[in-house]
Amino acid sequence: MNKNSNIYQILYAAIMVVLVGAVLALVYMSLKPRQDENIANDKRRQILAAVHIAPPTESETGATFDKYVTGGMLVDSLGAVVDTTRKAAFEVDMSKNVKQAQRQLPVFVCTLDDGSTKYVIPLYGAGLWGPIWGYAAVDDNGNTVYGTYFTHSGETPGLGARITEPEFQKQFDGKELHKEGAFKSIAVMKKGQKPLDGSDYVDAISGATITSRGVGDMLEQCIKYYEPFLKQLSNRSNQ
Amino acid sequence: MLSKRNKEVLFNPLSKDNPVLVQILGICSTLAVTVKLEPAIVMGLSVITVMAFSNVIISLIRKTIPTTIRIIVQLVVVAALVIVVQQFLVAYDYDVSLQLNVFIGLIITNCILMGRLEAFALNNKPWPSFLDGVGNGLGYMLILVIVAFFRELLGSGTLLGYQVIPQWCYDHGYMDNGMMILPPMALITVACIIWVQRARNKDLQEQA
Amino acid sequence: MEELNIFIKSIFIDNMIFAYFLGMCSFLAVSKNVKTALGLGIAVTFMLVVTIPINYLLDKYVLQAGALTWLSPTLADVDLSFLGLIMFIAVIASGTQLVEMAVEKFSPSLYASLGIFLPLIAVNCAILGGALFMQQKSFDSAWTATVYGAGSGIGWLLAIVGLAAIREKIAYSNIPAPLRGVGITFIITGLMGIAFMSFMGIKLG
Repeated sequence: MNKNSNIYQILYAAIMVVLVGAVLALVYMSLKPRQDENIANDKRRQILAAVHIAPPTESETGATFDKYVTGGMLVDSLGAVVDTTRKAAFEVDMSKNVKQAQRQLPVFVCTLDDGSTKYVIPLYGAGLWGPIWGYAAVDDNGNTVYGTYFTHSGETPGLGARITEPEFQKQFDGKELHKEGAFKSIAVMKKGQKPLDGSDYVDAISGATITSRGVGDMLEQCIKYYEPFLKQLSNRSNQ
Repeated sequence: MLSKRNKEVLFNPLSKDNPVLVQILGICSTLAVTVKLEPAIVMGLSVITVMAFSNVIISLIRKTIPTTIRIIVQLVVVAALVIVVQQFLVAYDYDVSLQLNVFIGLIITNCILMGRLEAFALNNKPWPSFLDGVGNGLGYMLILVIVAFFRELLGSGTLLGYQVIPQWCYDHGYMDNGMMILPPMALITVACIIWVQRARNKDLQEQA
Repeated sequence: MEELNIFIKSIFIDNMIFAYFLGMCSFLAVSKNVKTALGLGIAVTFMLVVTIPINYLLDKYVLQAGALTWLSPTLADVDLSFLGLIMFIAVIASGTQLVEMAVEKFSPSLYASLGIFLPLIAVNCAILGGALFMQQKSFDSAWTATVYGAGSGIGWLLAIVGLAAIREKIAYSNIPAPLRGVGITFIITGLMGIAFMSFMGIKLG
């Protein structure tokens, strides 16, 4: 058969496409459950990291998550709870969610070993090169930060990427989101500087001004939607 | 199995015929994944896998490929293999797949691959093609690892994530060189490697 | 304003060459004189502007999870994203082929100056890289994606023309023999990259 005839070429291309498509689909289908599990476990680990819990081993991530993250909910911008399943909160994709006019506001409820309850709020913002995201755990007084977790997709290693380090994240522990009843968030300031509005602040990573600023903005922009919800928490704990 | 010629095919790319240093191919991805040692090693292994298998596949079907759509056939084979590798990484080494990010996809346009397919696999039997793929992959990985070694050591004071520069050095005023982790230093590191290699191999030097 | 920011950012900060080293192979091969460098730069920019919106639409309406719902709501569970790479490269390869034919037919003079570079572009990492970064950045519209493509292309063009100009001059310098050629080109590119880093963090409006 003539290798350069049109029919041969078209047949060749068609067979190749079908073959390759079949092989890829097969690989994809057989690996998909494992991949989804990995992605979900990664998210679980991030949420747990915000309340300072690390699963003992990779395979126990699911069990640890079930043990500590006892509930989840979606709230609306007035603070009312619209959905009380953990699954609904877990399935919110923040990268899509932040672009919506009507944001869904997921909250994870964690019960720790000492019986205290923490509320974990997902965060999503922009760093220097791409998105940054994370979780912030708030005490049941709706004001004090219990722990945070940040990560990123492509910040400069050794500079912006250091937002993933515990040394940076630990700074947020115990900081307060409100001052004299007003929501102030937590500022990320260059070492030695203080915010003018009297809000709580932490030290930025030196050399990574934009990523650090991104973390500060992300906290403010994401948590402000939860303000009514946090108010309710603080009212409840004052009673 | 390893005749003299096959040995040359396998080992020449490690030094005298190194794809990165001498043939100046595949620079694109060499540099972006070399900030840390671990992603560099995984990237190198991925390239070896893709290269060896695409060489074998193309070599097996080399007599049936219509010359006019040759490039497209090669691209499809390579792209399919890269997707397979990528899917396996997401399933079995999720953290590293996050670090490598889009660069695993960019293996497709790694010039070493297309270069070897064109220059070797299309004219040779599967076994030598396999060796050629592995050899060139190793040559590529070697450079990745050398560059990543220096960048991680000098830039972060760690190797494979473990602290190797002792604390007392920092106490006495040693500081990690933040410059090393920035993109431009990858280029300068490769230039230094080229310098060393060409100083030893006089016949590789270019006339200005 | 958003578009302008993306444009500036993709030229100066997310520069394909200095920040991601994409398209280095042809970058090193062709940057020996300014004229050919300019030709390749224009060809790359052109291909980025053409292929990025096509790949964007492909990604949005065919490949992403649930992207096929516009055909029929029952397809909401179909996720073809694993085919992304192969589709992008197919679009780029056939795009180059089509553009080459079109340019040859309608503008022979442009073909004469660009002709030899066009086939090279199918395997230029910058084009595929552009498509992959576009997917990762998940832009809002095809227009924003096009702006990103144009910016990336111009950034690439700027880098290659700049390097070619320096290389033309450096031919008169006395460089240590082992560094001649590629070695010194790497160092120059690195230094240019450091210079470009000073643009980091600029933001308009």
